[in-house]
Amino acid sequence: MRRLGFTLAATCSALILSTASQAQIVDYAALGEAFGEPITTSVTGKPQRVSEAPASITIITSDEIAHSPARNVPDLLKAYAGVDVNRWTAGQSDVAVRGGVQTYNARLLVLVDGRQVYLDHYGMTNWNLLGVQLDEIQQIELVRGPASALFGFNAASGVVNIVTKDAGPQARIGARAEFGTRGYARVSVTSALPLAPGLGLRISGGHQEEDERAIPAALYQPPMTRKVLADQLNATLSVEAGTATSIEINGGANANRQLEFLPSQILTEQRFRNQTVGVLVNHDTGWGSITTRAYNNWLNADYGITTPTTDPYSAVADLRAKNRIFVGMGSVLVRLGAIGTMRVGTEYRNNQLRSDRLYSPSIGYQVAAASGMLDLHPAERVALTGALRVDHLWLEQGGTPLAPQIDQPSAYNRSITPLSFNAAASLQVGENGSLRVNGGRGLQLPSLIDFGLHVEIPAPDVPLPIYLVGDPRLDPVSVWSAETSYAHTFPSGLRLVSTLFYTRTDELIASPGGSVDVTIVFAPTPFAVTRFANVGAFSSYGIELSASGTITSRLNWSANYGLTRVREDIPANRDVAYYALFPRAATPLHRGNLTLDYAAGGWAGSVLAHLSSASRQSSFLPTTELISVVVPTSIGIDARVSRALGKNMRIYAAGENLTNARGVYGSPIPADRRLRVGVSATL
Amino acid sequence: MKHILFVAGICSLSLLWPATSAPSAVLNVPVAARIISFVQPTPAGVVPVAIVYQPGNGGSEAEAAEMERSLSRSNVVGRATLRPRRVAVANLGQLNGTRAAFVTSGLRGYQDDVAAAASAQSILTITSDASCVATSRCVVGITGGAKTQIVVSREAARRSRIRFGSAFLMLVREV
Repeated sequence: MRRLGFTLAATCSALILSTASQAQIVDYAALGEAFGEPITTSVTGKPQRVSEAPASITIITSDEIAHSPARNVPDLLKAYAGVDVNRWTAGQSDVAVRGGVQTYNARLLVLVDGRQVYLDHYGMTNWNLLGVQLDEIQQIELVRGPASALFGFNAASGVVNIVTKDAGPQARIGARAEFGTRGYARVSVTSALPLAPGLGLRISGGHQEEDERAIPAALYQPPMTRKVLADQLNATLSVEAGTATSIEINGGANANRQLEFLPSQILTEQRFRNQTVGVLVNHDTGWGSITTRAYNNWLNADYGITTPTTDPYSAVADLRAKNRIFVGMGSVLVRLGAIGTMRVGTEYRNNQLRSDRLYSPSIGYQVAAASGMLDLHPAERVALTGALRVDHLWLEQGGTPLAPQIDQPSAYNRSITPLSFNAAASLQVGENGSLRVNGGRGLQLPSLIDFGLHVEIPAPDVPLPIYLVGDPRLDPVSVWSAETSYAHTFPSGLRLVSTLFYTRTDELIASPGGSVDVTIVFAPTPFAVTRFANVGAFSSYGIELSASGTITSRLNWSANYGLTRVREDIPANRDVAYYALFPRAATPLHRGNLTLDYAAGGWAGSVLAHLSSASRQSSFLPTTELISVVVPTSIGIDARVSRALGKNMRIYAAGENLTNARGVYGSPIPADRRLRVGVSATL
Repeated sequence: MKHILFVAGICSLSLLWPATSAPSAVLNVPVAARIISFVQPTPAGVVPVAIVYQPGNGGSEAEAAEMERSLSRSNVVGRATLRPRRVAVANLGQLNGTRAAFVTSGLRGYQDDVAAAASAQSILTITSDASCVATSRCVVGITGGAKTQIVVSREAARRSRIRFGSAFLMLVREV
């Protein structure tokens, strides 16, 4: 009943906010067709051609997704420069932008149609809980660099916005079934049903399962490794209210079970269930557009579900948490004639985490934010863009503090008001070149676990109980970024892009590692405390080169290379011996990809070769010792070949890591080769 | 090193390969057709579209024929089905009943007449002739090359009472 109340309140709020004025109905497919390139709103909030966006952005189109051998979003992203994709286990992946590889990466905000799917309880993305099938994706937008001035907290080093296809005027139903080695099976259905003029319904669902990879005996092994499971069911109702207003109401429920490395590098099995309900209203006017949105996300996260109480890690791993977040936002885009565009926005968030392993039964915060963006074109070939956002956050806790009480409740009566910004200058050089200089500041908020966890941790040799606790005094991580880029498109269609970047990440947050830095507390029985902490900084700099073109009308290619150097600035008492964070060693120096796509008649094929140089990742041993594992330089090859059977059906075979390179996933657990066959059909 | 040489080789091949884009003087019909769907309210059903040309003008006739061929291959845009018909520039009364007009280039001497007829009947005019838009006689201009550029004349749109969605207008160059 409370959820229903929230939903109704959110719906009413959004409708009330949008009382007057024309939907900025961004039809990505139609606009992309008209301008000959993808359109994005993920950089400034206004629609822009990808070649004119004032930030480093990659858009993966639905055609590219259909041809790719990838079977999930992280695998699609790994083919592009500037990102490190680590598939730690069969189900758990993390995507890091421009260095700073770590498990539960909290600095990449992931959205579906602008709605957050990033999970705030631990500051992470579970890519199996996105609630979207690959077949219903219009495009995936990857923005490298801070984007907090538009999206707020956690768009610190980048954003991934997954845009789904519109319902469209024609009914369509698609189905897919895949089976493969290592116990892999997947079925999915997507449908778009025009119910009446101006009324459309989209429903999608899927189920996936596969075996976990073989875990080396030397590493900590969970008591059992079961299949990875993922289930999704989502629906969106689209309403055209008049000629200028569109309303979308969406809801969904997803569930997932998978083995994961926690930020502490302990390997445990988790079960996640989430639900979402939201409403989006767009209204178009003669001068611009108004957008309002409200949504509520619920998450049940059960950690360590197969870890027995006799296990030394059970006290850390065994965590049951419920997270609820409500978001309400509104923005106005105003066209300033030929001069440019202005955007102003407001946002409210209420985020609450409940668990019996917290400082008190409830830890949460509220955020109120205001933002603005100005995109100016003082001359035909020059564009200047600036965006600024201020967030005001109130931290809070509720209920009786858990014993032993380490902090006073007043420590949680805290507020912070950080600023984030972006600035860019773009110059069109000749008819086919463009030069861009841009930078900004993004913010990663400490997760609710970082603020409020309260668990006892194993320390067999220590005569005192040791508690791992959150810290309400943690500061947000700030990411400063500067880059310059030049892109050139030749008449032949060859496109070259080169980017130099520098990023500094301050106030890194880390979980205690193998050795713990403890504080002894006498209250009156003595015990020791170790905390999540702001441990230092790192900077990353390097170059990204990419090229794409067509060899024949049937054969396309793309290639990219990224060099990322990382410098750490972490004090000796907060280094890898004490905190499970080592951005320099964990980030490969070289990344490179080569993709070839071929299509002729009913046949299509795609090959991706992916190079990743060596890195070091970490894992706990059964002796509760944190060790560093060398992940060797690897070249992995993924491939897919398909054949059309008539107009509406296609069969295919695909393989991942055909070279069976053990380091290709960048995980302490070696990669394996996986093959699959499938059939897809559309009506 | 072998990988770098391989990529360099592919880049060189791409540079050498000839461009396949159409000459910029010919209207990009798929783009022009798509632009019709950005008009508010969005056209639906059968939408008559005029192809305005000059009989006896070889370039204009050839472009008109190419427009017809292109629309015969694909004439469905969003919820609209485009039904083309040729309209001679000397007989603009036949524009009656159309929602949009694809104006061939080479009609400089008749652009005032086309603008007047289109304005009177709220017809969206689209052309590849940049001068027609620059002088506010046509509503939309499309230029080709490596990157499609779309120009909208505010004055011509206002005169013809044509309103576009704001997302589209944020992507074009307004003059």
